[in-house]
Amino acid sequence: MTRKILSGVLGVVIAFLVGALIMLLEGYEPLATYGALAQFSLGGIGPFATTLKNSVPLVLTGLSAAIAFASGPVNLGQPGQLVFGALAATLGGLYFSLPPALEIPLLLLLAIAGGALWSALAGLLRQAFGMSEFIVTLMLNMIADFFTAWAIAYPFMDRKAFSPMTPPIAQSGWMPDIGPLSSSVLLMFAAVAAMWFVVQRWRAGYEWRITGQNSLFARLGGCDVRGNFMAVMLVTGALAGLAGGLVVMAGPHRFIKGLGANYAWDGIMIAIMANNGLLETLIYGVFVAAIQTGALGMELITNVPSEIAQVLQAILVLVIVATREYAAVAFDRLAARRQARRRAP
Amino acid sequence: MNIVVGLITGMIAGATPILLAALGGMLTFYAGIFNIAMEGMMLMAAFAAVLGSFVFHSWVIGLLFAVAGAMILALIFIFFSVTLDTDEFVTGIALNLFAVGSTTYLLRQIFKVKGVFTSKLIDSIPNIRIPLVEKIPLLGPVVSGRNLIVYLAVVATIFCYYLVFKTRFGLRLRAAGYNANSLDSSGVRTSRMRIQSLLLCAVFCGLAGAFLSLGYVTLFAENMTAGRGWISLAAIILVDGHPYGIALISLLFGFFDGLGLFLQSYGVSSQFTSMVPYIATLGALYVYARRNRERERKAL
Repeated sequence: MTRKILSGVLGVVIAFLVGALIMLLEGYEPLATYGALAQFSLGGIGPFATTLKNSVPLVLTGLSAAIAFASGPVNLGQPGQLVFGALAATLGGLYFSLPPALEIPLLLLLAIAGGALWSALAGLLRQAFGMSEFIVTLMLNMIADFFTAWAIAYPFMDRKAFSPMTPPIAQSGWMPDIGPLSSSVLLMFAAVAAMWFVVQRWRAGYEWRITGQNSLFARLGGCDVRGNFMAVMLVTGALAGLAGGLVVMAGPHRFIKGLGANYAWDGIMIAIMANNGLLETLIYGVFVAAIQTGALGMELITNVPSEIAQVLQAILVLVIVATREYAAVAFDRLAARRQARRRAP
Repeated sequence: MNIVVGLITGMIAGATPILLAALGGMLTFYAGIFNIAMEGMMLMAAFAAVLGSFVFHSWVIGLLFAVAGAMILALIFIFFSVTLDTDEFVTGIALNLFAVGSTTYLLRQIFKVKGVFTSKLIDSIPNIRIPLVEKIPLLGPVVSGRNLIVYLAVVATIFCYYLVFKTRFGLRLRAAGYNANSLDSSGVRTSRMRIQSLLLCAVFCGLAGAFLSLGYVTLFAENMTAGRGWISLAAIILVDGHPYGIALISLLFGFFDGLGLFLQSYGVSSQFTSMVPYIATLGALYVYARRNRERERKAL
């Protein structure tokens, strides 16, 4: 456990040093830039609430990727599942106008169903024909992207708008704010807790994890490997769909062009940084959201373009993963040397 | 008649970047590397090509920049996956994201624009006209007048076949993937073969990226590779890495790419026509999976 924290912190520090080096080469002041970054993401209740709100899609898609990777299925379809969830929630919000207590759960369920539907398609193609879900989900991402772009440009387009977008959803479907905090953040924490419970405490989660580590062992032990595969695909698709629904309901309240952005790929990256741990995904998700949120403010007071956040993120994932694997080797070597010294006369 | 020629030339243009990237990926495939960074290498190359061509007003420099751009990503890949032994899949995904992030950042930093950069100062890669051949009806307009990179891709396909199957280098390359331990014990370092295959892959992805931004069109757009690296990965898997098979599959994808553009002129909305190559990939995967299953059944 201390090893984990140590190598994680070490990775972050090295990544920030590399980032600082790049800024120096570009002629910016790293300390002032990082200061601004922290100030606009963590400096006070308002900025921190924004950071938490921005972390919702990252953490939820990260959770989806982490559970999938740890259980075996290489589900890289979070980008497609996210936009499908967002589209489903938007359509629900356009056609239904119920009181908030009914409308919000309805839209959330639609988002979950939309994401799960799109991942179920990949799961079925795997089950029925043996098509590798790795490439299938990637192709379905592109198809989902074009499909939603069509949906908001033709059948569901807001005629009054200048660029492709749907009309706003019913106001009763907006996620309410609790003080400065968006209620979508509470849902995110609830999702993390529920998933942690399922994976760590339930029999199903145990079977998923065992299948991920050794699918032959799981099958011989009596697990329904095929059924579990489908269950994991559905659950991870649902999580990505929920992320999409919350983006719509807590953000622009409509499906606008480019809504999916990089959320899901960032989420996949966060899962990789977290080594598929669920609580780690939450921590890294908030961390990455802080960088992204801070970058926008940083651009205002320094001259550094906010796009540097993307570069910083890619460096982070590479360095954190390399540090973790290399630290494991280094720690083992240290332990071996200590043991050798003790044995030597 | 013009429609047929148009479809075929469209097919060739669509196939070229996928073919080149897949050939590069194929070399790493034989060397036993799970390389999914072709997408990022191509994107970086496409950006570097525009940068070089814009600054020096020369497509030759653009091409060199493109290869250098892809090479930077290959060197990072080598540093992490060969030297530090980081997971290849993770490294690949991180590099693809790094390519998206850094090209977006550099687009803003160097050209001061968001989204798309184009300029009259960018020198594009010329089309080559073959005298005499271009006079032949039907065949002439197809074979002659294509982009330089298209001809390079044809040469590269044959070159790769000989390199992998007829040379000592190729034998060692395949041994690195087939049985790394026995290659190591024969005195050839596997890691060295892997490094060489990645560098070669960068050269091919560099050409592919340069074709996208200086041949196919003359501009750089954010994320302009649009999943072509993933399609090339699918192409490699579908034919188990045979260069001629890859050429065939690439042409097939090129055909569907061109077909999409063609359908657009018949009033099908562009979003649906853009889906066509990806749906075709799914179709090809289906055929592959079925063939695999039958083979397994026969083996039993």
